[in-house]
Amino acid sequence: MSEYIGIVIFFALTGAVVSVFIALSTFLGPSKPSKIKSEPFECGEIPFALPMGHVAVKFYLTAILFVLFDVEVVFLYPWAVAYSGLGLTGLVEMVIFIVILMAGFFYAWDNGALEWS
Amino acid sequence: MTDLALLAPELVLVIAALVLIVVARRVQRALPAALFVILAAVASVGAGLIFSGQGIGFQASISNDSYTHFFKVLFAATLALGALLSVKHLDAEHIRPAEFYALLLLSSTGMMLAASATDLLIVYLGLELMTLCSYVMVGVTRERSASNEGALKYFLLASFASALFLYGISLAYGVTGATEYAAIASAVQQRGLTGDPLLLAAVILVGVGLAFKIAVVPFHAWAPDAYQGASTPISAFLASTSKAAGLAALGRLGLMAFAPEQPVWSAVLVWFAGLSMAGGSLLALSQTNMKRMLAYSSIAHAGYALLGLIPGTPDGVSATMAYASAYAFMTLGAFGVVIGLGSRGEELSNFRGLGASAPGTAAVMLLFLLSLTGIPPTAGFAAKFGVILNVVRSGHTVLAVLAVVCSVVSAFFYLRVAVLMYMTEPQGAAPGRLPAVVSAALAVAAFMTIVGGMFPETFAAWTIPP
Repeated sequence: MSEYIGIVIFFALTGAVVSVFIALSTFLGPSKPSKIKSEPFECGEIPFALPMGHVAVKFYLTAILFVLFDVEVVFLYPWAVAYSGLGLTGLVEMVIFIVILMAGFFYAWDNGALEWS
Repeated sequence: MTDLALLAPELVLVIAALVLIVVARRVQRALPAALFVILAAVASVGAGLIFSGQGIGFQASISNDSYTHFFKVLFAATLALGALLSVKHLDAEHIRPAEFYALLLLSSTGMMLAASATDLLIVYLGLELMTLCSYVMVGVTRERSASNEGALKYFLLASFASALFLYGISLAYGVTGATEYAAIASAVQQRGLTGDPLLLAAVILVGVGLAFKIAVVPFHAWAPDAYQGASTPISAFLASTSKAAGLAALGRLGLMAFAPEQPVWSAVLVWFAGLSMAGGSLLALSQTNMKRMLAYSSIAHAGYALLGLIPGTPDGVSATMAYASAYAFMTLGAFGVVIGLGSRGEELSNFRGLGASAPGTAAVMLLFLLSLTGIPPTAGFAAKFGVILNVVRSGHTVLAVLAVVCSVVSAFFYLRVAVLMYMTEPQGAAPGRLPAVVSAALAVAAFMTIVGGMFPETFAAWTIPP
């Protein structure tokens, strides 16, 4: 277990530093709460709002198609690096993988996911 | 390349699913697609017989033995029945048939993979493929809010369960340095890890993860909502086959990977089985919706099926195999009658006087209800007898008594339907004839239920543990 001692020290230090900062700002800092200050901070966004209006579904379709090719590349790179060692089996399995992906891509294309209108 | 032959049945189903996805836009009616799926199911069994044979492959992560073949045939059969039962619903609810059947095929592929896996990660992969397709199928009727609610609950709880399962796998890997079953068992024995607290945590987490998949009390909360919200054919498919897939994985795990941890494994299963039988039976008593009642009944049956896994003997596992298959057919049958009656079949009160207005339908329903209760000469009785016998032999007498008591309790809510059908006056118009596709599926399910009860030894010859 000795290799974990560094992590334990790290956790202890992190906890100590964070507690000290919170304690200092609580005791030393001026406290003038207002409605806006008490809201959860969310990078300038209004944190709670009812979903108003619509977001066109075509944005999601594009995003999903991007993920399709992203996944393909993620698997193709290590396969290409290890290609010489994998032989025919590796080639056949990669072809199967691409065929399955392309069937999905064809489905999206066929159903109008690429038409931006 | 020879390894791929071990997966011939799965490959056939995947190819069929891809074909359906590619031609999806050109398929308007459900019937041709359903016939194609049935053809694929038959072809996958044939491919298994011709190409697969026996053996292990993919670095000992896939094993093809009689256990695998049994479950693959079962999943192919339930896939075909599920395809038949859903034809009318897809047309009526305007669900695009090709996509739906592609999901059904891929879901069955996942189940087959889970049954043949001898590696924790492959089991995870198979079960995840099965459930990912199931979420979509539960929520496929987008206009109905109950369907969306069911799908979302199912997704959230099952993802949580998958996380627990994965955490269990990572702990098992951390302790033993392996994810293959045989390697885990031998590492535990050689290094004397039995009783290691981290390994115990892994065993419990993996057990809990799989318990979610087969909807065992206290991890059953998603099942009633998902089954009620989903379109009835999907509930039927999920209730019958996802249990069998989870049980297939549990059976192999207990016998191969966690055999050195048998006391803990069986203690976990004793609690799951006891709570599930009692909880499922008691909660089913107050249901007035037929699908919800069958959902609670499926929870109770998951408990009975687990009984066979408690002793950790090959005999017990084969009793659970018999239970899983008998249960799959009788549940598909009971849901099939609900499907055949259409929207009328969903409320319990609509079964009033069915014996007079539709004698054939009522008789078939009675058969499935008797089988679900466990009354001879049906498959339900033979299967229940097998698992209770095994649990008595292993010395868990209290659990066996609980199982019998729960059967008596379950008789009340199953036979209440029979009383409504035969001893009350008909209400409203008589239901029309059952659609031909539903009748065909019901005939197969009824045949299996009767044969399984009359000749239980015929099934016993098939249920060979790994």
